[in-house]
Amino acid sequence: MKPILLQGHERSITQIKYNREGDLLFSVAKDPVANAWYSVNGERLGTYNGHTGAVWCVDVDWDTKNVLTGSADNSCRLWDCETGKQLALLETSSAVRTCGFDFSGNIIMFSTDKQMGYQCFLNYFDLRDPQQIEDNQPYLSVPCNESKITSAVWGPLGEFVIAGHENGEINQFSAKSGEILKKAKEHTKQINDIQSSVDLTMVISASKDCTAKLFDSTNLDHIKTFKTERPVNSAAISPIMDHVVMGGGQEAMEVTTTSTRIGKFEARFFHAAYEEEFGRVKGHFGPINCVAFHPDGKSYSSGGEDGYVRIHYFDSPYFDFELEA
Amino acid sequence: MRDTENMEAEIEFDDGEEPSFSDPEDFVDDISDEELLGDVLREKPLEADGIDSVIVVDNVPQVGPDRLEKLKNVIHKIFSKFGKITNEFYPDADGKTKGYIFLEYSAPSHAHEAVKNADGYKLDKQHTFRVNLFTDFDKYMSICDEWETPEKQPFKDFGNLRHWLEDPDCRDQYSVIYDSGERTGIFASDVKEPIEIEERARWTETYVRWSPKGTYLATFHQRGIALWGGEKFKQIQRFSHQGVQLIDFSPCERYVVTFSPLMDTKDDPQAIIIWDVLTGQKKRGFHCESSAHWPIFKWSPDGKFFARMTQDTLSIYETPSMGLLDKKSLKINGIKDFSWSPGDNIIAFWVPEDKDIPARVTLMQLPSRNEIRVRNLFNVVDCKLHWQKNGDYLCVKVDRTPKGTQGVVTNFEIFRMREKQVPVDVVEMKGKKRWILRPYIAISCFLLSLMSSDFSACLTESIIAFAWEPNGSKFAVLHGEAPRINSSFYHVKNNGKIDLIKMFDKQQANSIFWSPQGQFLVLAGLRSMNGALAFVDTSDCTMMNIAEHYMASDVEWDPTGRYVVTSVSWWSHKVDNAFWLWTFQGRLLQKNNKERFCQLLWRPRPPSLLTQEQIKLIKKDLKKYSKIFEQKDRLSQSKASKELVDKRRTMMEEYRQYRERATAMYHEQRPLRLELRGGVDTDDLDSNVDDWEEETIEFFINEEIIPIGDL
Repeated sequence: MKPILLQGHERSITQIKYNREGDLLFSVAKDPVANAWYSVNGERLGTYNGHTGAVWCVDVDWDTKNVLTGSADNSCRLWDCETGKQLALLETSSAVRTCGFDFSGNIIMFSTDKQMGYQCFLNYFDLRDPQQIEDNQPYLSVPCNESKITSAVWGPLGEFVIAGHENGEINQFSAKSGEILKKAKEHTKQINDIQSSVDLTMVISASKDCTAKLFDSTNLDHIKTFKTERPVNSAAISPIMDHVVMGGGQEAMEVTTTSTRIGKFEARFFHAAYEEEFGRVKGHFGPINCVAFHPDGKSYSSGGEDGYVRIHYFDSPYFDFELEA
Repeated sequence: MRDTENMEAEIEFDDGEEPSFSDPEDFVDDISDEELLGDVLREKPLEADGIDSVIVVDNVPQVGPDRLEKLKNVIHKIFSKFGKITNEFYPDADGKTKGYIFLEYSAPSHAHEAVKNADGYKLDKQHTFRVNLFTDFDKYMSICDEWETPEKQPFKDFGNLRHWLEDPDCRDQYSVIYDSGERTGIFASDVKEPIEIEERARWTETYVRWSPKGTYLATFHQRGIALWGGEKFKQIQRFSHQGVQLIDFSPCERYVVTFSPLMDTKDDPQAIIIWDVLTGQKKRGFHCESSAHWPIFKWSPDGKFFARMTQDTLSIYETPSMGLLDKKSLKINGIKDFSWSPGDNIIAFWVPEDKDIPARVTLMQLPSRNEIRVRNLFNVVDCKLHWQKNGDYLCVKVDRTPKGTQGVVTNFEIFRMREKQVPVDVVEMKGKKRWILRPYIAISCFLLSLMSSDFSACLTESIIAFAWEPNGSKFAVLHGEAPRINSSFYHVKNNGKIDLIKMFDKQQANSIFWSPQGQFLVLAGLRSMNGALAFVDTSDCTMMNIAEHYMASDVEWDPTGRYVVTSVSWWSHKVDNAFWLWTFQGRLLQKNNKERFCQLLWRPRPPSLLTQEQIKLIKKDLKKYSKIFEQKDRLSQSKASKELVDKRRTMMEEYRQYRERATAMYHEQRPLRLELRGGVDTDDLDSNVDDWEEETIEFFINEEIIPIGDL
């Protein structure tokens, strides 16, 4: 089917996320406006205005009440999803790189960049305690001295955050004590993205080392590896099939000097068990920065360096296709 | 024993008696001066010191004392050019000098210089100096008159150097350099995947070369060349040539020519060295100013002769003496280029126009130096010599500027070597439309000026590539200007008629690669043309397949013509370095991505030992053999697909087991999840469907703009 093209950003897309039901799609980019879209037809529901710099990350809680965004303007903001009203402004000393709601929607986490002489911190706020927001005082702040966090996602049941680092490490940070519970060093280069499966039992990491890897969320056991020949910027796990989708391409800074053919800006589909590629979707003019599966598994979206979000609905052969085994 | 002696000495000392330092009577001084003051003695001047700096000059005029002073002046003038003369001696007898003199220089290097340059110096008609090193007299005097048979060297067994030909599946090998030159591997080509034979880190410092028959692999090092071979690729030979950059084997693999820009000195030619592959001996060194036209020495097909072109001369050397053939070079004024026939000892060369003398292409038989064919050509700008691989035909591509036309016109002169007196036929390259300027057609001139760009493109249709069919009588030409490039295929018939078999227009190609067996070829648009590939069967001129290997930089046929490899080398392009294996029909078999892959070279095969009749017989019984091979292919294919399916099954099974465990845990945690979300069941997408709100969404179906101004 012809993809739906969402043109709501002036700069390259940094992250996209579906809400739990999948009727809404949230997108943020290197421009200051976060967008909410109807995933079914690509109509824009509204925007969240307030940031003054590139927005690096977005998340929505399980009942689609609140939206959380983190930005290079040194702030993390909480929004009312329906009205677009800013509910909270959490100022930081450096850019906010990752953010997320836990399973219950009560606790938020965000990480800040190591920048301008400031450390990378992973901060936890409990939204049930308004004092924490008011004082901008997290109940837990974990410094990451070694290598900064470049992507993060909550583990199941809100017990820990699974964070990917600039040096390729993946760590579990407890939401209670802040200590590192588990470590995995399977990647050799920066982790660009971590996403969990729909039941939160697995996570997939996308790395600059041209691979994506599947891990068990609880014990961080390495399960599968998917290899390409370009840096992987984002990867997602299909909720209904044993498939993963990966997006990436030549690094953005080299893109101006290469043609789209050499950049390999296609979304690639791999079989999760066989680690084999079985399909590609073309379309973007630059590297794909983020991919996301619709929770019903019947469509997926990608956001690119070219500033577009594309929603692709799968044709029926996709669901029938099987590799011989 | 020693211990007790020491003890005694100590006891004596304890007694307080003064020890005696004088030698006992029977003392013999057994410590030599050398041991005591060797360092001083080594500096002691010797009688023979400076002997290396002495030269002997013969054929000096014999003069009396009256003219001696004058002679000395003359000698001094000539010989002080090479260095400071510290001593001179004019032996005389009967009041006259003896006609030979001794001169001593301040350093041996000056003496060497003097020998190099003054030997053969003509003083006048009667007197030509013969200059020798004094030490040489010594050396030649002490040569033993009796022949000593050289000691027999132990035979080094390198195993079967043609081991790779015994592969039961007739796999061909190739060398691969990757990891930006850090690693080199030898692989056997297989339809499924390459089989590694040998792989080493830093095997070579730059690149590798196979010898023409595939026996040796040459690797390049700062200090020289190493040859490897045999089953395990052991080192077989080394040639020490500092800074070596280029090499070339003789077709018989007996000699190897190396080039280094570092080593050359005036009196010791070392820029180019010819080595004996079997013994590792240096056979001869040559001077060389520039390596721009490598190989500088071109070998005759049998490896008996090698030739080099310099200003107005063609020097032909013979093996094994490495001396000039008939002791003299050929004087050919203005010689521009030459090449050996790959089939016979025939040299083709050409000289450009010189005033009234037309340009000419000459075919010369060697070693007789008979000119078997001379062809005169007019208004020639440039010539290129293309031999067919067997030496059956020679094509000379001639660029001319005929009088009355503008631009360059190209035609091919085809020499049929196997026929009496070598008949020559001419093929003109014509563009699709050729406009001929005639002064009286003014209108067409006017039209032409309008279409001037088109016009010039037609007249100066340039030749991009030319290639002979290796074992046949066809040739392929790429001509035209991008993007309108045509490929034409010609056939040279026995009666000399040259037919254009087929022309394809609008080709994306800049190179022609014939299969080594002929008939099939690949037209490739390398590098700037994005790696477009066309696989052509010239027996009926069909395009078997059109494909692309994006940014491909190289195309290499295997020696049997079964497979062809296209590759993107790290040397020319920094991303997607890989080599792809295709069948000769253009079916892609493998994509081999290798990190920073640099170069792939097929290992050549020696010529077949079968006679023509035997080959014919095999071709006749092809059906019988193909059945066996097909059977074999089917077997290995079903085996391969079975392996793949088995592999997938185990992977799937492992994954399924993992998922089962994970799902079990997921179900266990259900109460915790319900608690966290205030009792709302969100495990399935629609498990809380009762809480859902309905929303109406509009779809944008179509947009029509109707101008209402005209209504």
